[in-house]
Amino acid sequence: MGLLSQLKQKYKTLSIVGMAKNAGKTTALNYLIEEAMDDGVILGITSTGRDGESTDLVTGTDKPRVFLDQGTIVSVPVKLYDLADAGLEILRMTKYSTALGQIMLCRVAESGYVQIAGPVNTKDHKKMCQEMLELGAEIILIDGAIDRKSIAAPDTSDAIILATGAVLSRSIKKVVEETAHIVGLYQLPVLPMGDARNLLLSASDMEKIMLIKENKLEILDLKTGLSAGKFLDEAIDENTSYIYIPGALTRSVISDIHPSKMKTVEFILKDPTKIFIDAMLWQQLRKKGFTVKVLENIKVAALTVNPHAPAGYSFEHEALLKAVKDSIEGIPVIDVKIGGDFNETI
Amino acid sequence: MRLSNVKTRSETGLDHVMQSINVMTPFGKKRMKEMKPFMPGEEELLNDEFRKLEELLQLAEEKPQTVDMLIETFMDIKDVGFTIERSQNNALSVVELFEIKSLLLKMKTLIELLAAAGYSLSEEFILEDTMDLLDTLDPRKDRMNTFYIYDDFSQKLGDLRKQKREFELSVRREQKVIKQKIEAQYGISLTPKFDYAVSKANKELVKIIKEIPELITGDEDYISVTFNLKNTEEIDLLIQEMDRLNESIEEEELIIREVLSKAISQKSAILMKNCEKIGELDFTLSKAIYAKRTHCVKPVLLSEHRIEIEEGRHLVVEEILNQKSKAYCPVSIQLQDGVTCITGANMGGKTVSLKLVGLVAMLTQYGFFVPCTEAKVGLSNYIHILIGDSQSMQRGLSSFGSEMEELKEILDQSKDRSLLLIDEIASGTNPVEGLALTKSLVEYLKVRAYISLITTHFDRVTVGEGIKNMQVRGLANADFRKLEKELRYANRKERIEIIQKYMDYRLYHAENDEEIPKDALNIAKMLGIYDEIIENAKKFLNDGHE
Repeated sequence: MGLLSQLKQKYKTLSIVGMAKNAGKTTALNYLIEEAMDDGVILGITSTGRDGESTDLVTGTDKPRVFLDQGTIVSVPVKLYDLADAGLEILRMTKYSTALGQIMLCRVAESGYVQIAGPVNTKDHKKMCQEMLELGAEIILIDGAIDRKSIAAPDTSDAIILATGAVLSRSIKKVVEETAHIVGLYQLPVLPMGDARNLLLSASDMEKIMLIKENKLEILDLKTGLSAGKFLDEAIDENTSYIYIPGALTRSVISDIHPSKMKTVEFILKDPTKIFIDAMLWQQLRKKGFTVKVLENIKVAALTVNPHAPAGYSFEHEALLKAVKDSIEGIPVIDVKIGGDFNETI
Repeated sequence: MRLSNVKTRSETGLDHVMQSINVMTPFGKKRMKEMKPFMPGEEELLNDEFRKLEELLQLAEEKPQTVDMLIETFMDIKDVGFTIERSQNNALSVVELFEIKSLLLKMKTLIELLAAAGYSLSEEFILEDTMDLLDTLDPRKDRMNTFYIYDDFSQKLGDLRKQKREFELSVRREQKVIKQKIEAQYGISLTPKFDYAVSKANKELVKIIKEIPELITGDEDYISVTFNLKNTEEIDLLIQEMDRLNESIEEEELIIREVLSKAISQKSAILMKNCEKIGELDFTLSKAIYAKRTHCVKPVLLSEHRIEIEEGRHLVVEEILNQKSKAYCPVSIQLQDGVTCITGANMGGKTVSLKLVGLVAMLTQYGFFVPCTEAKVGLSNYIHILIGDSQSMQRGLSSFGSEMEELKEILDQSKDRSLLLIDEIASGTNPVEGLALTKSLVEYLKVRAYISLITTHFDRVTVGEGIKNMQVRGLANADFRKLEKELRYANRKERIEIIQKYMDYRLYHAENDEEIPKDALNIAKMLGIYDEIIENAKKFLNDGHE
């Protein structure tokens, strides 16, 4: 049984997210599509924004088109319909529109290449996925954001497939370290149900920095922590148990906070995509007792590795695969170029 | 000649009503946009418009379910006028054909819904049957809102596609055989894409693989080589054959699209007419639903120029009151050619009554029902409301300046059967000249065949032959002791509301020599102006009289 058939039992929608541009996101998507063909799984394919262009709009590198098998449910905007090489039966004109026209849901009648696009708005996207499931898709693959920094929110899909690869660095060690860091961040513990969570949720719409002191909410008139480090340091006292930051968590946000306070207060973020701290600093902070929880985390369903970088260098397939597997436990890892075993970890 | 200008349409509340009407289809929206007022002489046409409205109002009352379903059907109708036009000379694209099919399905639903309701509606609402065209676009007759150039459109297309699929399978089968052979022979396993990547470090393996006759070298970089399955002669032939087939398939699809487009173009007149009818049905139904929701009635059209309103409600004000769960105090008024003045207390709703007359007249002439228990309306050639607004300030004119500018326009444009609604003219200048100007304007208007309705605070304007004076009942019958008691503990917002509660907005016909009640000081006092000021004002008033 392939990876996809196993994921299908746990998730209905999977976003494929690249660690960086050219981390092999589309290769990963194609790999899963091929698996679906072999296993007879009815796929739904969509993307957040346009995808499937023959060359990548940003870097100009070759980007494989998406070949879809008969029966696949796919979202295609009106203006790309005629460009498809596959035969597409129009099932539904949705109310979601893009720069390329309204999105239509189609069933592939004659297999072939297709350019996909989906709604940009997260809410619309979720609704559309529901429609695709109604039309018979068993699992939906979402060609996700360009790179992980622009991934919309954890609630776009049930889980993500993270594509990583040689593009991150010329050193395998570095690639593994970065990947493990991101996987670690995505799976940060969620602030459990309880008073603190309820207090924060009650005011999280205001997008302000909030503190919880002795079970009481204190709202600061600050939206982001950027350049507000000193204020934060002042605001945190010995009674502070949590601090909630609605925006980005960067080095500058925490740099002015006294190290002794780090140990007593827990940082709470909306979701892990708000963290912009590199692996090394993260480790140092952790050692100092810095703890972060999130209101919502991101499930990583699988990792794909691509040993080739568009800059021209490559890693040994087995070496990269093994290195990633060794450092990240509990998540299936596959090499999108040669496949790989994953059964052991699911 | 225009019936009214933009400002009159907005100040009377006609715009508000039009915005509140929930037209769903692009055809209905077009119909509303092109809406024109009915002018004197067109009473018969207008009555016909009312009859249609009544018909749908009755449908809404008796068959609410049918109406709900009609609205649901209207919901995602798209404007395909351009596509229908394009079908004359072009092969429509698959998406366009899909949209036409969707529209045909919608038409079918509408026809069936109205038939099932067992209602004989006006011809204007009855769509022509387009089932034969739907059959053409839906060869399987499964009536699903989906579209594709299905195999069923032509035997030839089906055959070509079947052949192509068979070739595809043959290629895949052929490749699988070779794959299995290689895997058995060399103990390696190819990916589902039939390729194999080897690290260059493993020189021996690279060498062995390179020797395999069934594989060719594909992508290569300094770390690894990817080998692909080599096409056998047979596979090459099959692929060539498939390319040829693809071309034939595309040709056949084009032919089918042309045939379908032609079929559509032949029916284009009917389709366009049906779209228009959908627009008529949608627009009229929306008006009927609005009339039902706001308790509007059909106005009776008079041949002579008169307006009679029984218990009228201004819809904009009523909506605001409804939101605060307060009741509207309806106002009745009868108007005919000549001048009618509305006088009375401040906060007595004079301006709202003026706007009400405008709204009833405008709604009638645009073919809407009106917010009264009964209304009789003789159509006007020209309707204008002269009322202070904030725009004059923006144009850099003083309120008096812009008022005079507009008055000039009204006098220039007016003709027989005009309805002129004038709100407190000349209140922005000194009262001596203001009074003189108003009086003189009244003299000018009263001999003309206009219905002129003027609100004013000037006493002596309303005196004279041919001038009718309507007065707001105001606080005349209010229990002042109770009112004052309530006001004592009220805050600013509550004060206004309390006064509104005691205010009687109804109008009554005052005798010519009746003096206008002086309530301004009372109201100022109620609103909390210091006693010192009020008392002094009263003193000045008495001095003046003596």
